[in-house]
Amino acid sequence: MEIAIVTDSTADIPDDLTQENQIHVVPNLVIIDGKPYQDGIELSRQEYYELLPFISTPPTTATASVGTYQNLYEKLIGLGAKHILSIHVSSLLSGVINAASTAAQEFGKSVHVFDSRNVTLGLGFQVLAAAEAVRNGASLETVLEVLMDIRSRARVIAMLDTLEYVRRSGRVSWARARLGNLLRLKPFVDVHEGHVLSLGEARTRRKGIERLRELLIRLGSLERLAILHTNAEDDASQFLRDLNPNLLTTPLIVNVTTAIGTHVGPNGLGFAAIVKKENIHETVLK
Amino acid sequence: MSVDTELTAGKPLPTIHSLDGWALKQLIEAGLTWLRSNQQIVNALNVFPVPDGDTGTNMVLTMQAAFDEIAKSPEQNFGKMAHAVAHGALMGARGNSGVILSQLWRGFARAVDNVDHLDGSGLAKAFAEARDTAYKGVVRPVEGTILTVAKDIAIAAEVALEETQDPRQILEQVVLAADQSVQRTPELLNVLKEAGVVDAGGKGLFFVLEGMLRYLNGQSLDQAIITVSPLSTMVLDRTMESIEPGQDYEIVLDFQPFRDLNITDFYYQLEQMGTSIQVGEGEGLYRLHIHVPTEKRYAPIDYAMSLGTVTKIAIENLIAQMETDERGCSDEEPVLAPVEPGQIAVIAVSPGIGISRVFASLGANGVVEGGQTMNPSTQEILHSFEDLPSEKIIILPNNKNIILTARETAHLTSKKIAVIPSRSVPQGLTAMLRLIPDGDFENVVEEMTASLNEVKTGEITTATRSVEIDGVEALAGQFISLLNGDMVLSTNNLEDACLGLLEKAHADQFELITLFFGANLTRKEADQIADLVRSRYPDQEIEIQEGCQPHYHFILAIE
Repeated sequence: MEIAIVTDSTADIPDDLTQENQIHVVPNLVIIDGKPYQDGIELSRQEYYELLPFISTPPTTATASVGTYQNLYEKLIGLGAKHILSIHVSSLLSGVINAASTAAQEFGKSVHVFDSRNVTLGLGFQVLAAAEAVRNGASLETVLEVLMDIRSRARVIAMLDTLEYVRRSGRVSWARARLGNLLRLKPFVDVHEGHVLSLGEARTRRKGIERLRELLIRLGSLERLAILHTNAEDDASQFLRDLNPNLLTTPLIVNVTTAIGTHVGPNGLGFAAIVKKENIHETVLK
Repeated sequence: MSVDTELTAGKPLPTIHSLDGWALKQLIEAGLTWLRSNQQIVNALNVFPVPDGDTGTNMVLTMQAAFDEIAKSPEQNFGKMAHAVAHGALMGARGNSGVILSQLWRGFARAVDNVDHLDGSGLAKAFAEARDTAYKGVVRPVEGTILTVAKDIAIAAEVALEETQDPRQILEQVVLAADQSVQRTPELLNVLKEAGVVDAGGKGLFFVLEGMLRYLNGQSLDQAIITVSPLSTMVLDRTMESIEPGQDYEIVLDFQPFRDLNITDFYYQLEQMGTSIQVGEGEGLYRLHIHVPTEKRYAPIDYAMSLGTVTKIAIENLIAQMETDERGCSDEEPVLAPVEPGQIAVIAVSPGIGISRVFASLGANGVVEGGQTMNPSTQEILHSFEDLPSEKIIILPNNKNIILTARETAHLTSKKIAVIPSRSVPQGLTAMLRLIPDGDFENVVEEMTASLNEVKTGEITTATRSVEIDGVEALAGQFISLLNGDMVLSTNNLEDACLGLLEKAHADQFELITLFFGANLTRKEADQIADLVRSRYPDQEIEIQEGCQPHYHFILAIE
């Protein structure tokens, strides 16, 4: 193992894929009533999302400790890794990059921390692409080039069922301003280059899903696609069925991890996509 | 003005050779004054029996702005004065008729560029250019409107020129042609025919021109004209603001006079008793409305009984009514979204402070008060964004009568303006959801415009007069429901107006019904209706919001 790949649980890569690609996932923490739970391990996503609206003190999230990262890096080097590529959730949204970078200082040039500037499979697809490149025998430089290329083409767009959780999270400045007078507002978020941008709102779920579909189609042809949801499995499957079947092969359907779900709330629906190179210039929504 | 003889009453009218800037100022003032004297007549010519942007008021405000621009000007040059008039009219233009009126002045001014003194042929040319400019200013010109009148007067001026060069005589022919043209408008426009009215904008233009002619003829302009409106069009003004201190009682009574009424004397007697006097007549029956102080509360009744047989009396204690009518509208100011340089800013026209707050919460950067009853001027809209640190402005007029006014602002600023033609508040809110402040201007405008039809608009108000439109009959005072601007039913109670409207809109096939309740309802009254709607539509989500709009009990968004 020349290059080992590390990421955190917000990458949302299904377990079979992490094992198959030998990706090491560090769980983030979800803190409910003062008690920390390991994201994706100690908490069932389905149960958590069903409970979330009824938890009186809003849960919070935390990154794994610097020590956790240190231990993992140490272990991987002990196993013979010459380089460790640690790829994580956008530094503008979370402290993971901080924790990982601090831990990496101990290991000089052998640990490279890479800011994916994205989240969920917007990050996960970068990690998978890196793992594939490693498996194909690419050098560290080449893998970094692959990462930068994929990163520039990654888009995560989602419709949240309510503005409430993202506003409470304090991670998105515009959400604070929009103290929605309208009770029913389903905000669209667009994660791009590290930021969470607003793409407006919908007032009904039906129209929102229709708009989500338009936004996806407008991206043009895609290299990878995942349908994301927070306990809205039926909507996610329907959404996929309604898509043009020629659009791609078999996209993942992912119930988003609790560390992210805490900040977006249940019943969210969206997608992560890697846009094909040839139409990247047309896909910029702005 | 250069004239042959001194203008004196009794003598034959002198020949006028030409008009200068000073004369134009007098003519504008005369047109304004005469239009104002007849404002209520123009206002009453509403096709829809709803409290809509009043054409008469809009045109008066537009002419007022034109006159204000020149009131203190010492300008003698006719052309320069005309340009100032056009500028003032453009800045003050309100409502569709106001905008077209301002276009007429723009064309008029353009034709008299560098004209020191205007003669007869110059006047005819100016009328022709006014017509051309006004037609060009409207995307789809409709005949049977003020445009047709503008066209007919241009022709009349041309024809008159064969007989005379005297501007006064030309104006005489023009006024005659305007009058005839206005009378013909129902033949050209079916909605007018159905409503049994002539075009209000055309009528307003007629009054402006007639006022000018009356001035040249030495006739009075500001005589208080006593009007007795047809009973069917009488709107009893019950807004609380119109109550003057001391006028504690409102009397409304119907009577049949024994013999023909001397209207002038009748008004004089009433003015001794109170204020807010309104008189209507229909088939020999007179309806009188008046506000009087406590000690005179029986005086109008005694007086009416001396004139004829009183058939109906209603007395209301306005002060008590005002106390029990405490309306629950919060006056909390909307918190407007800040705009960063380079971002797109949005200005929304809003009929009520509650609706303004919703627009602000969705990211509006400016709100202009206005709507059904008060159309904002071009200048008011302009003011709302002039100082914003953004060069890209989107305007949501949220009313079909404000779209043109909003578009006019584009000519007055160096900023990039896009008007999303939202015809109602729900449409405006739907467009708002597509706003991406950092997005590409053209794309955002396109998306917002495309979203307008994603919502159905319902409106509930009371008919201001009896009418039949599209086979729906409504009596004055009844509740009427409008769906996407069309009257769909009339009824005597608010519950039926709401439920009937939702049924016509096939609300059961939609997901969400939002009710914006007006300033004329309390929160409790509105909640009761919302509960009723909830029980009727258990599968739909019902949201109730304070709209605070005047006159409209509810504005509904069905989506």
